[in-house]
Amino acid sequence: MRPLPRFRLHRPGSIAEALGLLSSLDDAKPIAGGTDLVPLLRDVERGPRNLVCVGQLGALSYLREEDGMVTIGATTTLSRLLESDTIKRRAQGLHDAVYQMGSVQIRNLGTIGGNLCNASPAADTAPPLLVLDSDVTVASEGESRTMPLADFFVGPKISSLKPYELLTEVRFPAQQRSSGSAFHRIGRRKGFTLSVVSAAAYIERDGEYCRRARIALGSVAPTPIRVPEAEGELEGKEVTEALFEDIGVVCRDHIHPIDDVRGSASYRKGVSGVLVNRALKDAWIRAGGELI
Amino acid sequence: MRLEFDLNGEHVTCEARDNQSLLDLLREGLWIKSVKKGCEQGECGACTVLLDGSPVTSCLVLSPQVEGRVVTTVEGLEADPVMVALREAFMEDGAVQCGFCTPGMLISSYALLRDNPEPSEDDVRTAIEGNICRCTGYVKIIEAVLDASRRLKA
Repeated sequence: MRPLPRFRLHRPGSIAEALGLLSSLDDAKPIAGGTDLVPLLRDVERGPRNLVCVGQLGALSYLREEDGMVTIGATTTLSRLLESDTIKRRAQGLHDAVYQMGSVQIRNLGTIGGNLCNASPAADTAPPLLVLDSDVTVASEGESRTMPLADFFVGPKISSLKPYELLTEVRFPAQQRSSGSAFHRIGRRKGFTLSVVSAAAYIERDGEYCRRARIALGSVAPTPIRVPEAEGELEGKEVTEALFEDIGVVCRDHIHPIDDVRGSASYRKGVSGVLVNRALKDAWIRAGGELI
Repeated sequence: MRLEFDLNGEHVTCEARDNQSLLDLLREGLWIKSVKKGCEQGECGACTVLLDGSPVTSCLVLSPQVEGRVVTTVEGLEADPVMVALREAFMEDGAVQCGFCTPGMLISSYALLRDNPEPSEDDVRTAIEGNICRCTGYVKIIEAVLDASRRLKA
């Protein structure tokens, strides 16, 4: 028996009402799918005094592709992302990530906003969204601000979200035909487990050349990170298998992971180079490239 | 708080605490004992129910969140042809040992066969990824789900 601490659960009928509750209530926290928060609450004596349910707000659950941009409402479930043709074609790395997240039951409850707001260095939606150059929109009563996703993450389990704010939307440019993205991860087993290391890559192809590249890693730093040094080494170059291997090494040498229950720092370093290499290869092939 | 939702085809009005999981409400408040309490952290799948038709772990759902929604457990699917085929296949193929995971396995398998009547073995493995069984080693369960799909086709 792992009883939940006492709290009051509020079920607002609109985003405005939810924002009102978050700003007026003392010690309040939003809850969407609950897949991260509920197990966390079972481990504490005293949790937040108020929980504000946002999972039922239909206005935050949507997925659109318009004018070259993909926008996803914060409470869109992982299942919906997995089934989406838009995500499969326009955000291939995100599709890869969601495919490997949790279990059916968890994907049916868990939301993209919850995964990001939990701000775990191991959040699997983060690396693919980082390489797609995503922005997030954060709302509070009467105003909203948009920032790069990279600025949203502050530290392990810490986001830049203020207690009275709510993440409402994730937005990124839809992948075009000559571009590809991919996500690879290593866990302690294949299914239903947290990543020990994860890597995402995005490539824009210009014939045999890489016009633009973005690389991100999860679980190797206090937050999910981009690796601009490696991206710079790749852009403008003619792509070969050997080049991708070198870029993996650049990433490996650039990061400073830690030892923890899921893996050692040295294992993480080694495997990150391998995963970056795999992600780059997949992204390149999806962009229509060939490997020599 | 007062709560109204649809449970196994019946409209239910009941009292629930804000911090009461759907799992506890079903077992303690509504006497639905097929829903098992395993890990209480969404890992084991023994408490799986259908929420608006989709499998979820009821230990992660707070009772007030089901207001106005549809909850289904194996009790509500007794006469459903897909569930009948699954139940018979599970019994005849030796897919049940201690039985603790069985209701959750059946719910996950039911949702699979309902949406995908001819699943591959990989589809079955993915569908029950969130259901832990400590007895069978999964082999007989996977065989039973594939057998149920054949029974339904016949």
